[in-house]
Amino acid sequence: MTRAVNRLRTKLSVDEVPAPRAAEDPDAVTQPPAEPPIVVVGPPMSPADDLTPEAPRPRRRSAGTLAMSVFRQYSLPILLVVSVLIYSLWGGDVSSTFNTSANWQNIAASQAVSGVLTLGILLTLVSGNFDLSIGNICGLSSVMTAAAYSHWHFPLVVGILFGIVLGGAVGGMNGFLSTTLRVDPFIITLGTASIILGFIDWYTHGQAIINGIPGSLVTFGRTNFLGIPEIAWVLAVVALLIYYVLEHTPYGRALHAIGSNRAAAKLVGIRVERTITSAFALTGAFAGVAGVLLLAHTGSGNPTIGPTFTLAALASAFLGAVSFKVGRLNVAGTLVAVFFLGVNIQGLTFAGVQNWITEVFTGMTLILAVALAAVLSKERKAKRPTAAPTSSAEQTRNPA
Amino acid sequence: MPSVLAEPRTALTMRGLSKTYNGNLALNSLFLQIRPGEIHALLGGNGSGKSTAIKILAGVVPADPGGELTVGDTVAGVSEWTPAKAHAAGLRFVHQQPAVFPELSIAENLAIGAGFPRGIAGRIDWPALHARTKDLLRKYQIAADPKTPLGLLRAADRSRVAIMRALQDRDDADSGVLILDEPTAALPDAEVAHLLDALRGYAAAGQTILYVSHRLDEVLSVADRVTVLRDGVKVDTVETKGLTEAALIELIVGRPLDRVFPASTVEVTDDAALVVRGLAGGPLRGVDLTLRRGEVLGIAGLLGSGRSELLRMLFGAYPRDAGTLVLDGAPYKPGNPDAAMKAGVAYVPEDRQADALLPGQSVRHNLSAGQSRDYYRGLRFHHRVERADSQRSISDFLIRVFNDEQPIETLSGGNQQKVVIARWLRRRPKVLLLDEPTQGVDVGARSEIYQLIRKATEAGTSVILVASEPEELAHSSDRVAVLRGGRITTIVSAPIDAHRLTELMNSSEGTP
Ligand SMILES: Nc1ncnc2c1ncn2[C@@H]1O[C@H](COP(=O)(O)OP(=O)(O)OP(=O)(O)O)[C@@H](O)[C@H]1O
Ligand SMILES: [Mg+2]
Repeated sequence: MTRAVNRLRTKLSVDEVPAPRAAEDPDAVTQPPAEPPIVVVGPPMSPADDLTPEAPRPRRRSAGTLAMSVFRQYSLPILLVVSVLIYSLWGGDVSSTFNTSANWQNIAASQAVSGVLTLGILLTLVSGNFDLSIGNICGLSSVMTAAAYSHWHFPLVVGILFGIVLGGAVGGMNGFLSTTLRVDPFIITLGTASIILGFIDWYTHGQAIINGIPGSLVTFGRTNFLGIPEIAWVLAVVALLIYYVLEHTPYGRALHAIGSNRAAAKLVGIRVERTITSAFALTGAFAGVAGVLLLAHTGSGNPTIGPTFTLAALASAFLGAVSFKVGRLNVAGTLVAVFFLGVNIQGLTFAGVQNWITEVFTGMTLILAVALAAVLSKERKAKRPTAAPTSSAEQTRNPA
Repeated sequence: MPSVLAEPRTALTMRGLSKTYNGNLALNSLFLQIRPGEIHALLGGNGSGKSTAIKILAGVVPADPGGELTVGDTVAGVSEWTPAKAHAAGLRFVHQQPAVFPELSIAENLAIGAGFPRGIAGRIDWPALHARTKDLLRKYQIAADPKTPLGLLRAADRSRVAIMRALQDRDDADSGVLILDEPTAALPDAEVAHLLDALRGYAAAGQTILYVSHRLDEVLSVADRVTVLRDGVKVDTVETKGLTEAALIELIVGRPLDRVFPASTVEVTDDAALVVRGLAGGPLRGVDLTLRRGEVLGIAGLLGSGRSELLRMLFGAYPRDAGTLVLDGAPYKPGNPDAAMKAGVAYVPEDRQADALLPGQSVRHNLSAGQSRDYYRGLRFHHRVERADSQRSISDFLIRVFNDEQPIETLSGGNQQKVVIARWLRRRPKVLLLDEPTQGVDVGARSEIYQLIRKATEAGTSVILVASEPEELAHSSDRVAVLRGGRITTIVSAPIDAHRLTELMNSSEGTP
């Protein structure tokens, strides 16, 4: 929720600026500023006006549009609450199983894995690149960490580090290949995903690795701290970390700049290739963390579970971008989206729907998120179109 | 066009056009009549509402309710105005940021406006399309193949293709209005003249033209009447006959402006800030140049002379084949922009859409792009310092914004340009490379920007300036180097005469 708080703070500061000139109340449309910085209504004023620097003008919105935009910002959290209410009031077995702390802990723990994965991919997505191999990297890290304990008898900590570094290495390779070969990362990571799939199959013969996993790791994956699963605490730490990196470091700024306009980013001194490669490596490393958490939670290196995470992570990231900072990938929205997905899949399962609901619901969410993003951006364009009507406006290269 | 003035009918009438953005009036109840066959210029400072008016005419921005449009015989309320209606009524547009498709070929870009010629079974008749495009390209004297992707053309040519696309089906039409938003902002002088000739030709054939420009000399030479906006309000509509540039500036700015270009106040020493020897690569065949500390060195050259490439090489953004560079007495070999920036060099690129703006990012982030490391101390990002800096830049550079969290693309064109200039000037660079820094910037702000550049030179910055307007170059530079055939052929010292510069750029004088 740090994001929301920050958002609130920036909102306040915006209104702070014109405060001495205008009414404090943003809705006081009729009250004229005491000393208008520029003419808003009426005849042109003093001669030098066009040359005077413009003080920010007071923002005035009607209560209606304000309510609408608040609603839009918080539509996803509202949906999450509504979903919870539905399953709680479903009645019968559904409600009684749903409304238990055990269930909540279960959701928190299982979403910790996909949450870490999703937060990790934000780094790559913000820079305007795609990684379709994260689920596979997560699976690879979980299987190979299990193998490291089971076959090679790694100590606990070394095994964990091995899983994370392995993920980072594969991610870094994705980034390196796509920037040096100048191939769309979409293609590269699709290839990587397939290679990993084959490798795991070859290595495990399709068998889960269950022996030799350190007991302390499995305990960690299954116990609670302060009533919350320990691996969910890891998710919280990762969320803070990603939030910090994206919004409060020059590195995060560079990722945003590259995602916005790669050529311009280069011309303000950003080492574009290097930055993209490192973003892929970090995304891979977080997928590695997710893999280790997966191993801790399930207690085995499962060769088939990884790939299913990719789509869920993408769906959550895009769904997250339609809340809080509308139109912008953000950590708070992503977390809400991850839990929105988790709650609904769990709830529907309790309601008696078969396992296939996971894939169907995830797929629907992905489409919904992308459609919603498209509608919202069209709405924004209608509100403040900046260029020609066609969608080509974004691709315009002509100087104005 | 004297006969048309007597005609009572108007080609286009806008009545009571208003537009509110975020509760602020960008355009306030505009009333404007365009006579058939006239060239009418719409003028005003940056953010005064010109593009807004044009976008309303095009039907791409919904106006506030209440206004009315009359085009020829079509009368419609603004609420029912759509792009299709505008087109049917005969309005043709080239927007300030024209919607062109860089990945598609010139021919395809044209066809997207006018439709693809079809052959048997509805397939696209490519030979016919290419032949038609070739004819058009010849007519508009654009040296390019119809199959060239538009993105490979330089900025100026892309603008010309956009104009050509709007005009392609209007050769003989004498109804409707051709509407151009700053068509000449990115064009070099020679091409401006060419384009203006073309516009005059169309007007003589009966075509009505409404256009926006910040180049006042051009307006006075081509327009019949001008309308001036200030802060969204119409100041006046006047005939250009007998109007002087000074009077026009006074109308736009609201007060007389004694000097658009401030005089040099710096004692330029012989102390070299940057020495360039034998620089080659791309179109350059060995450029020798010495930039003295505190001077503004202009570069004059025709389109394709390598002016922009020269600046890019100095910024490490274009490969150098040969040559040595010495910056402040030390060898300077920038391998990338990052290295150039660390050495104290700054660069304002020519194409602001493609190379400078970060769309979707706030004004504040656009201002501090490339500078964010300076705000990061002890693992903390000092947002407050960044905000203070951005407020200062906004007031120093007269950037018109509601607040600095506004996305950059909601600023008017000229204000976007000011953001880009501010981004670099506020770093206090040792060497500042400027490529067409004042394109689309209004007269008032242009004079302010040159004053800020002068102030920077007083603080020790040296400037290399590329500008396609010889006037601008002559008045704001201490010396001007003429680039021809990949070499510097002449260096002109003050007093610099604009006409002489034009001659030097075109003549073969001094070329090896
Ligand atoms: N999409 C938008 N959202 C919010 N404000 C906008 C938007 N588009 C334009 N504005 C504001 O409306 C005002 C008028 O802008 P407009 O683009 O019409 O100016 P202009 O006269 O064309 O200026 P320039 O000469 O710089 O191109 C400006 O203050 C601008 O910031
Ligand atoms: Mg404009």
